[in-house]
Amino acid sequence: MFILTKIADLVEIAPDDFRKPSFAAIEDNINAKYANKIVQKVGLCICLWDILWTSEGLIGRGTVEFRMVVFRPFKGEVVIARIHDQTVEGINLATDFFEDIFIPAIELPEGSEFDSSENLWVWKYEGQELYFDNNEMVRFRVMAEEWHDQAPSGPPEASEEEVILADSKPPYRIIGSMNGPGLGCYLWWE
Amino acid sequence: MKILESQNALLSNYEVYQHIIDQRKKSKAQDGRRLPGNAHHIMKEVLAYLRQKPSPLEKQEETQAYSPEVIPRLLEKIREANLPSDLTKGEVLSILNLRPTSVAVLSTAIEDMEERFSEEEQNRVVDIIVEVLGRDDPEHEAEQGEGEEVEDEAMPSVENGY
Repeated sequence: MFILTKIADLVEIAPDDFRKPSFAAIEDNINAKYANKIVQKVGLCICLWDILWTSEGLIGRGTVEFRMVVFRPFKGEVVIARIHDQTVEGINLATDFFEDIFIPAIELPEGSEFDSSENLWVWKYEGQELYFDNNEMVRFRVMAEEWHDQAPSGPPEASEEEVILADSKPPYRIIGSMNGPGLGCYLWWE
Repeated sequence: MKILESQNALLSNYEVYQHIIDQRKKSKAQDGRRLPGNAHHIMKEVLAYLRQKPSPLEKQEETQAYSPEVIPRLLEKIREANLPSDLTKGEVLSILNLRPTSVAVLSTAIEDMEERFSEEEQNRVVDIIVEVLGRDDPEHEAEQGEGEEVEDEAMPSVENGY
């Protein structure tokens, strides 16, 4: 689920930070720049793991090589998440720190139906009705990932509506499956 | 920014948990130092996630069931079990992160489990996991289970052919 990514970057220590011990200032600087940010094709950065190397002179400007803790579950990995909301298209999952996980309807267990009066998916299995209730914890398998670079591509010429549409594409989205033994609501398998 | 190596290593959830705890302690110990807001925020959220049932780290603070010695011990026990096919690094990592205490959940961590291992071997792996990593307190389970509409024996499982 988590990996270490090795990065090199130019770190500038502002005069305000001179009073901090140099390493602490560098660490804070890296965390301020990367924590809770998505780097395209790398993943969601959590926090600094360690500093591997710094160029001469820890004050001012210098190159630092470091490793970040990154959220990037591998393809096929099974991960725990919470049911966020549901539509006829499928189920949206979230963890406390990452919200863009989608389970398309086709990846729900065979015999799953959408109950449009309750807006819930229900798995009909051997005469039982097992509901995917919102806020339940589930296990899902990572099937694919989507990346959308959010970098501004030019002057904003598009109409407001289009801008909103473009903005709605998350920078990193995980597509998963809950079809298989041990997957879906964890309480089913206790 | 230059990505030198996008995947330098895989980390278990336990290692991430312990790193966040250590970072917070370190920052607290240094007078006047505060983690940048964004880092503080996401570390808090990751910790909340890892402490949420059914995460095996839910009660780590009390039980200390995970420790740096746990991984080699788990690997040794699995080696002793003489399984006909070795578990991959990713599979061991998933076992640590999910701590499967049933064959159905174990099948989510091990690829093609039923082709690779006999029923007996699958149960043996579950026993090793419970022995080395522990399991949820059954009393607590009973409390949690109350109000559940579905009965245990009716649960879908690998055994009854789901």
